[in-house]
Amino acid sequence: MSRKWLFLVIMVLAIGLVAFAGCADKGGSGTTAPPAQTGGNETPAAAPADKDGNGVLKIGVLVPTTGSEATYGQDMINSYQLAADEINDAGGIKAGDVSYTLELYPQDDACDTAQASTAASKIVSGDVDFVVGGYCSGATTPTLTQFYDAGLIFLITAANSTVLGDAVSNDGYDQTFIINASGDKQIETLEYLISDKGFTKMAIIHQGDDFTQNLYNICTQESNAGELGCELVAGEQVMEKGAADVSAIVTSIKQAGTDLVFFCGYYADATNVIKQLRSGGYTGDICVSDGCSDPNLATASGKEGEGVWVLSPPMAEVIENSEEYIAKYAAKFNGATPRAYSTLAYDTIYLLQAGIEAAGTIEYEAVRQALAGIEYQGIEGTISFSEDRHERSISNFLLVQIQSEKLVMVHAM
Amino acid sequence: MSLAQVWFEQLMNGLVLGSFYALIALGYSMVYGIIKLLNFAHGDIYMWGSFVTLFIFGYASVVVGSGWAAVLLGMITAMIFMGLVAFFIQRFAYRPLFDAPRLSLLITAIGVSMILYNLMMVLTNGEYKFFNSDINVAAGIAIGPFTLTYVKLIMLIITAVLMISLSLFINRTIWGKAMRGIAQDKNTCRLMGINVNKIIGLTFFIGSALAAVAGCMACVYYGSLHYFMGYIMGIKAFTAAVIGGIGSIPGAMLGGILLGLLEAVGTQVIGSAWKDVFAFVILIIMLIFKPTGMMGKTEIERM
Repeated sequence: MSRKWLFLVIMVLAIGLVAFAGCADKGGSGTTAPPAQTGGNETPAAAPADKDGNGVLKIGVLVPTTGSEATYGQDMINSYQLAADEINDAGGIKAGDVSYTLELYPQDDACDTAQASTAASKIVSGDVDFVVGGYCSGATTPTLTQFYDAGLIFLITAANSTVLGDAVSNDGYDQTFIINASGDKQIETLEYLISDKGFTKMAIIHQGDDFTQNLYNICTQESNAGELGCELVAGEQVMEKGAADVSAIVTSIKQAGTDLVFFCGYYADATNVIKQLRSGGYTGDICVSDGCSDPNLATASGKEGEGVWVLSPPMAEVIENSEEYIAKYAAKFNGATPRAYSTLAYDTIYLLQAGIEAAGTIEYEAVRQALAGIEYQGIEGTISFSEDRHERSISNFLLVQIQSEKLVMVHAM
Repeated sequence: MSLAQVWFEQLMNGLVLGSFYALIALGYSMVYGIIKLLNFAHGDIYMWGSFVTLFIFGYASVVVGSGWAAVLLGMITAMIFMGLVAFFIQRFAYRPLFDAPRLSLLITAIGVSMILYNLMMVLTNGEYKFFNSDINVAAGIAIGPFTLTYVKLIMLIITAVLMISLSLFINRTIWGKAMRGIAQDKNTCRLMGINVNKIIGLTFFIGSALAAVAGCMACVYYGSLHYFMGYIMGIKAFTAAVIGGIGSIPGAMLGGILLGLLEAVGTQVIGSAWKDVFAFVILIIMLIFKPTGMMGKTEIERM
């Protein structure tokens, strides 16, 4: 009998100890209410110190580094690093009298909601000062609350579902800024394509996640409002991420007399769909959403990819000083080429610098307000944010086409 | 497109998809029939077969061009290689457990599956790999108002040939007879002087060679390969095997074709978002009425 009691007492003590240790570990990372006060930082007098107090701004980075989107995530980290190192070499960010150097703290969200929440928690408890990142909208959305509650400004580089803008305006996450032009701007580019080429029947294939479902919904709304420029046919076709066989979808699309297929998704599935559309005998045009914009799309889809339209973010190849940018990226990362979101990521860090320098301090509310009203000239365009949704004011989308297994820009919005 | 053309094409889509399921389901059924093991690693054998084909194709195309000849070389190499891999798996992972509780064998199979796909994940860095060849995938023949692409036709022919060969092998050869015997009573077969271990090894070899053929077809038909593609295909093929009657070879063929057709019809009638719901609801209904599957035999235990 006493053995059992002893065991019970030890268990309770052990659990208590672990819980206590866990709580004590949280430290100064603002577990309290939303930061209406002066952010999670200390010393209201003098210049606010960064969380570690050593003159280094730790930047949390939330991107996928494993899974199907790993190459994009790694490219974003590289681009952030490129910008951060340039800033550090030039003396760091000057907030008033204090200079800060930048240090990245990347965490993997694997383009998965659950893992993103875990990664966000790690970032929050890692005493970071600001957060950048966000590639998959579905994975990014739930982390908004976590960063808001922790008093961390979140600059979203690539994710652009209008669900994010909704969260900012409806749920009040006004410390979040969406740098990539959002879904509705993407559909504007699509509408340009439709009217320019005179397509009459469009079929949409999406993958049922936040990002692609959002694009489908916007298209439907535009169609109902008579703004789309063509008829939506073949119903709502859904293809699971990673699914192999879409032959039946292809047949349905052909049956509807489609002349433009709009595939919303990421590039691996896009390649699959393009190949099966062509092998299934579909002869019309194909357009793929952003998220598919990658030189890999052109090489992987081979001859079947010829003529495919891509709604693309500003790729490094088409910005103004493209050769210079591509060269310095290659020099830093062993000859690698920057991918579709590289310029956006690079601009994200410089935007943060601009916001801090405009505010003259790294204090949360000042930086937040500075960013809200900023107009920054980045390498891929002018960045400013809409008032209530903090979305990119001006579209940065490009209409790109695959020609001879290369991505070629056709039109800038 | 006229309705008749649409239905013909969906039927062909269903048959081709069904061939994939059938070829993989055969492996499940054969192995279950002989040693009562649900070999969950089988879907990953299919995936590996795909990658081996891709790999060999890359080298072969330098010599014989990027056409069907290189694909054929890839297929044959994949069949032999995966057959040998499966032989080694059963020799070292399964055979020691033949007389152990069935659950242990099952867990081992799951473990082997994890090793296989994680190994491929490391080898490919988790990335998608793509198959590009000179084969004109849109070319086909016209049968009246209907068109059928050459790729689909070739795949259907290969599957039919393999299934007929397998049936002949099982029913007319001495090894086939041994397999059927071992499925009925392993120990008595031992007493009869049959080298049971060798025949079991042969079963694994054949089943995996068939899965490798499906893998090769996936290269040509789908064109994109990923380390996790064996998982979904494996589950569906396993379901097809159960529907047809696990342990029964004609059952596996029938179950596979049926599942493929159900998915294609489901997409045509209800839409792609619902196709899996449609197919599996029908499957559940079928199992309620015939739990042992279409051609399954109820097991009689003699005490």
